[in-house]
Amino acid sequence: MLNVTICIGSSCYLKGSRDVIAILERLIALHNVGDKVTLVGSFCMGHCTEGVCVKIDDQLFSLSPANTEAFFNKEVLGRL
Amino acid sequence: MMHVDIDWKSLNKYGEELCGDKVEIVHQDDCDILVLSDGLGSGVKANILASLTAKIIVTMLKEGSSVDEAVETIAHTLPICKVRQVAYSTFSILQLYHDGRAYLVEFDNPACIFIRHGQLTDLPYEVREISGKSVRECRFDTAMGDIFALVSDGVIHAGVGAILNLGWQWENVAAFFQDAAQKKLSVPRMVSSIAQVVDNLFMSKPGDDSTMLVAQIVPQKVVSLFSGPPTDKSKDETLVRDWMRGPGKKVVCGGSSANIVSRVLNRQIKTSLKFTDPLIPPTAEIQGVDLVTEGVLTINRTVELLRKWQNRDVRTAVSSIASFDEDNGASKLARLLVEDCTDLHCFIGKAINPAHQNPNLPMDLSIKMHLLNELMDLMKQMGKRVQVTYY
Repeated sequence: MLNVTICIGSSCYLKGSRDVIAILERLIALHNVGDKVTLVGSFCMGHCTEGVCVKIDDQLFSLSPANTEAFFNKEVLGRL
Repeated sequence: MMHVDIDWKSLNKYGEELCGDKVEIVHQDDCDILVLSDGLGSGVKANILASLTAKIIVTMLKEGSSVDEAVETIAHTLPICKVRQVAYSTFSILQLYHDGRAYLVEFDNPACIFIRHGQLTDLPYEVREISGKSVRECRFDTAMGDIFALVSDGVIHAGVGAILNLGWQWENVAAFFQDAAQKKLSVPRMVSSIAQVVDNLFMSKPGDDSTMLVAQIVPQKVVSLFSGPPTDKSKDETLVRDWMRGPGKKVVCGGSSANIVSRVLNRQIKTSLKFTDPLIPPTAEIQGVDLVTEGVLTINRTVELLRKWQNRDVRTAVSSIASFDEDNGASKLARLLVEDCTDLHCFIGKAINPAHQNPNLPMDLSIKMHLLNELMDLMKQMGKRVQVTYY
């Protein structure tokens, strides 16, 4: 199971973590990988300036709603 | 330890800027004093009569005068109405002592609705005369859960001549409170629901000023709220220990604060991804903590809800209490603070989050300290005791 952790702290939330999560949920459904990928929320990860912060294992990514699909294709599908 | 939960609302007579009913509440070391007065007529004149009456009573009782002296003073002080040639304002005074004694005195107001163990109960009134005014009074002992509802005659007469021939009437108002008590409604909810009924019976055009003042003897309910990391990181542990050691329900507001709790207690945070409200980030769970929410956005909304509940306009207040039941962090916090808290203990760290100083953020996150201060002020206005420790 691949855990993707998305920051929902105040700062990332204002920068669009809700949209990032919605896009990821849609892509997971679209690619039918719901049994392999889990989305997990997290409070502040301490990298507010780089938000929206997303983590896979211990690797930190800086996302925005605009580059979420590219991230999904490369980093999520790439690991499956 | 007992606490008196008190809340009230007034509906102004339709078209009037000022209310002719006046509520005064004083919290003393040994007792709480509640006064409801209803001035003759409506508008400015009634407002002045009622305000003078309530203020004189409350100030004199506070300074240790007897009720007799207070009533005598009112009789000699109130300006005389040119039309009716009388100076007149009704009043009810309820003194609830913290050792369990109670004293009630009424002059021309509807009788206090007294509910004990969910049942409407008679009070042992005696009638006597003070400076030519015939008043009803009684002394009795209170019990945990007792409910006292003081209403002005506008409530009793709600709907008179329009929806209801004789108005709502005391017996029906009393039955309404008995029903609300049996449903175990909190005091704010009781006040809100009766205000709504009165407004409806008047078809949103009250024919008279209508006030409902409700008090209930409740056990002390403490909420300990932790928000904001300490300026000095080495204090993290002290803060969390102090906060956890405190009594009552535990609340933490803020992502960094929740992370500190998780680290110090070595317990996991389970964040939910349930977005029930687009503007409020989801809540989380930490074992042993009653409520875990995000910080500034949530507190901002909670303050908004509390401010709305304190609004003098009854319709605004009623809409605020309706949103307490929504499933998001801010509503849960508001509900806890208004309905389930008599004492608020705040544990506030003063560290400034560098990321929040970013001018590109759509909203000013540095206002958190300001919001917490407003939250505490609102709680004090609601008659709750507030303590705060800064780290």
